[in-house]
Amino acid sequence: MIEVRGVRKSIRNGSRTVDILKGIDIVVPSGQFVAIMGASGSGKSTLLGLLAGLDAPSSGEVLLDGIDISRLDEDRLAEIRGKKLGFVFQSYQLIPTLTALENVLLPHELNAHGDGKPHARELLTSVGLGDRLTHYPVQLSGGEQQRVALARAFMLNPPIVLADEPTGNLDSVNGQHVLDLLLSRNRDAGTTLVLVTHDPVVAALAHRRIVLRDGTVVADEVQA
Amino acid sequence: MTTLEPTKPALGWATASRIAWRELRASYAKFLFVILSVAIGVAALTGVRGLSEAFKRTLMTQARSIMAGDLSARMFRQLTPKEAQQLDSLDMQGVQRTDATELVSMASSATDPVPLLVSLKAVDPAAYPFYGSVLLDPAGDFRSVLTDHTAIVGPDLLYRLKLHIGDTLRIGNTTLTIAAVVAREPDRMSSTMGLGPRVFITRHALENSGLLQQGSRAGERFLFRLAPNAPNVQKVRSRLEAILPEAQVQDFRQANPGLTRGLDNATGILSMICLVAMVLGAIGVAMAMRAHLAQRMDILAVMKSIGARSSDILRIYVLQTTLLGLTGGLLGVVLGIGVEKLLPHVLGLLLPITVATYLPIRAGLAGLLTGLLTTLLFCLPPLLDIRNVKPNLVFRRLVDEGASAAKMSFSARWKEHRAQWISVVIIVAGLCVIAWGLSDSWIVATWFTGGLGAILLFILAMTAGLLKLLRMLLDKTRLSLPSFLRHGLANLYRPGNQSKAVLSALGVGVMLILSVFLMQRSMIRDMQVTLGTGVPNIFLIDISTDELPGVRKLVAAQPGVIGAMEALPIINGRLTQLDGVDAQTRKDEKHFPRHLLQSTVLTWSDTVPNGAKVKEGAWWGPHAHGQVAVEQDLAKRLGLHLGSTVAFSVNDQLIPVKVAALIRNDGEHVNARSEFVLSRDALAGLPTVWYGAIHVAPAQVGRVQAALFAAFPTVTVINIADVIETIQSVVRQITFVIRFLAGFSILAGVVILASSVASTRFRRIREVVVLKTLGARRSRIAGIFAVEFIMLGSLAGLVGTVFANLLSSQLLRRMDVTFHGAWLADLIGILGTGLLAVATGWLASLRILGQRPLEVLREE
Repeated sequence: MIEVRGVRKSIRNGSRTVDILKGIDIVVPSGQFVAIMGASGSGKSTLLGLLAGLDAPSSGEVLLDGIDISRLDEDRLAEIRGKKLGFVFQSYQLIPTLTALENVLLPHELNAHGDGKPHARELLTSVGLGDRLTHYPVQLSGGEQQRVALARAFMLNPPIVLADEPTGNLDSVNGQHVLDLLLSRNRDAGTTLVLVTHDPVVAALAHRRIVLRDGTVVADEVQA
Repeated sequence: MTTLEPTKPALGWATASRIAWRELRASYAKFLFVILSVAIGVAALTGVRGLSEAFKRTLMTQARSIMAGDLSARMFRQLTPKEAQQLDSLDMQGVQRTDATELVSMASSATDPVPLLVSLKAVDPAAYPFYGSVLLDPAGDFRSVLTDHTAIVGPDLLYRLKLHIGDTLRIGNTTLTIAAVVAREPDRMSSTMGLGPRVFITRHALENSGLLQQGSRAGERFLFRLAPNAPNVQKVRSRLEAILPEAQVQDFRQANPGLTRGLDNATGILSMICLVAMVLGAIGVAMAMRAHLAQRMDILAVMKSIGARSSDILRIYVLQTTLLGLTGGLLGVVLGIGVEKLLPHVLGLLLPITVATYLPIRAGLAGLLTGLLTTLLFCLPPLLDIRNVKPNLVFRRLVDEGASAAKMSFSARWKEHRAQWISVVIIVAGLCVIAWGLSDSWIVATWFTGGLGAILLFILAMTAGLLKLLRMLLDKTRLSLPSFLRHGLANLYRPGNQSKAVLSALGVGVMLILSVFLMQRSMIRDMQVTLGTGVPNIFLIDISTDELPGVRKLVAAQPGVIGAMEALPIINGRLTQLDGVDAQTRKDEKHFPRHLLQSTVLTWSDTVPNGAKVKEGAWWGPHAHGQVAVEQDLAKRLGLHLGSTVAFSVNDQLIPVKVAALIRNDGEHVNARSEFVLSRDALAGLPTVWYGAIHVAPAQVGRVQAALFAAFPTVTVINIADVIETIQSVVRQITFVIRFLAGFSILAGVVILASSVASTRFRRIREVVVLKTLGARRSRIAGIFAVEFIMLGSLAGLVGTVFANLLSSQLLRRMDVTFHGAWLADLIGILGTGLLAVATGWLASLRILGQRPLEVLREE
């Protein structure tokens, strides 16, 4: 479960202070698929970063399965991220010097024991890249890179997956493919999925749609 | 009909400057490394040349003190009566004269019979020195402290003989009381280079010592002071040259030409070492500029799409480069003042006078100009790439990056990269001109440019090969390696990483320092190995003919003496004729050994001397007349061959001889001192001293020295081990100076590494963000970086070490010195560079480890 309590986020931009989030209160139950929407500058990516512990709120709390991650030190946060979170970036963010297999294997090597290679291979095959294990990111197309990123996010079967505009850089065919993989993870494994998007078609697929405007929640509706 | 639009004017300099400046200000942190890269080389060069300028200025302003007179004349024999009379007559013309005799001798204390080799200087304290003063400790008047019964000594003599002021010192047949310590001798630089501590005695005390005898190799220095009514310096000089044709005559206006020449040569060589650091710095600037332009690619494309020409954009970045070069140069000049002040401490005793340092204006300008020129030269290739930026890159950058990798024919590649090839030629030519400007020698400049270029190319090739090999190994073993190791090694190939350039730059620095160390070590080892062999290690100087049988007998009775004593008769003369031609007329020929016109060591032998081999001709029989054997290389320089006639002058007596043989000496026996061996008859009846050579077991040297000094105090005993120790200490000091300056190259390499880390900062930050998102702790990330930097540094160390061993072994081979490897130094070179790289890399990456990932991204 994800809980956000009274979270505010302000940053200094030169001499002035910019309030990105102005008090957010959200609870996301386990297994829910939530789409966060909003125009550019509404604070949706910032909110996602706070949920992942990649940033710290100026005030308020963020709890993952009851653990307040807002004030934890970096190493403890890394541990929690490794165990509880899978993150999918808009621009894939694969490590360019590692092969597809090694990128997918990375979460296992950082957080688990034993041989993760069979599972990594299996994941890559499941996303249609069984024949690209030894390819470097520069040798893969955008859609293929994003699928490797998905496989990486799923490697440790995290209970929560956060995705920041995962189809933003993809064409419609690849985008649909990636979406299908995310949806099947949520449906079949019960993974909590929080997805940031500006595409209403993608948002329509979610159980719940949260709309941000100017740093506040202006709509929060459960969809049929 | 369409009329042509008027040509668009170029981007104004003011606008270009404004754009260049704003860009620099926006990325000042990144350009800090660039400025530092330039500053390092300029600082080293300014320091070296500044000190050289200051030294020359000191020589000029203190010329009279350094000479202790207005003029001086030096010979290696005593005056003949006629010469003495002629010199005395100059006094009536207002030319005052005082004589200083310099020779090596033995001195011992009452408590320690083992004598010490000293540099004796006998003067008339009432007159010497004509200029400057001898400073004493305790302070006192030199003229009253030095008497016929006292000696003034160097501080090292007290230390080595464990004596104090007031103790007695035995020199030759006389015993003197130590009255004071010499703190400063004004004309030490002009004196004959001696072995051992300085000892001042009066001329009367020298006579009493019995050290001077006919034929002795004492150096006579005649100092002159011109009274106001005396003829001018040039007239007096000409007169002296006429009275003493074989003497070396100098006047204060020349400010010690030998020393000045040596200083210029040393400055030239040290400037070349500084130029290496400057070249590495310029390479660092070029790398940073290339990375900077790569990041600016989109902006350049946008500018072109709104009408900017390549020349307009080039103007902006040439201005930027110039500004960076100037700023770095100015910082370098300021730092160079500090280097100039530090260098005298590094030089230590190699610097014989206290140099007053001035603001090095000329050296600073030279450093600044050199820094700016090398920066502009090396930035030519990346600047020229601006012409290739196409406006449509704004839309299709990724596609174009892939397209350029397609295979091209050689001619197509030449056409595409023609400007780059031409810029390389310009760089090489420019570097050669800069090197010539610094060294004043086209030969040195050409060798330096060619040598440095070849070394850089080889090192680049080796680093490329090593990186490729490592990649192949990594590809084969990657999944079986621990994850952090695999990731760290893979980071060497991160896009935007300039591993090859960093490796090469660091490698050159390591190579320089290690080469100097290996050469120093091998030269010193070689000298020590010579001691251990069966060749003579003790030389006896100035044995009179009467003393010779007694010396032989004493030596033979000493324990530890191996074999019989070698003895060589020595007669001092000078060369006067070659094949009937006056030798003086040939003194301006290239490579002519001018010193033979002033002093030639002659000897005689009935048979081929020990250690000599006849190369041409034949040795003479027992009844030979007027024959000479000449050392082969010297004969070549003099243009002599078998049958040539040579004439020598000994005490105004002409000795004509004919060349019967050409010989080569092995340099390890006493006869190696003489390049002319005559038949006995030619030198019969002339004043002769003997040189002896013995081989003594090292543990017994002190005993033999003590016994000889006790029985024959006027015989000078030179222990080769002491000589080698002196030479070793000079070699160590010189190589320390060179290594100090070569350290600037390492510093340049470190700055290049830091700059490379900084230029890939954003990629690293993004990688850290991803790793932290995936659950990596700080220690893990630090470990990955550590592997990358250790590998980078260790590979650079390996490359540098390999080349250091190759280079020094080749150079030593040319010098006929055996190369001795040093595995410990090699290991330190490799590991030390690795650790240095880790420290530098971590410092440059520190901030991104501890903060929240998105905080760092936001700040960037």
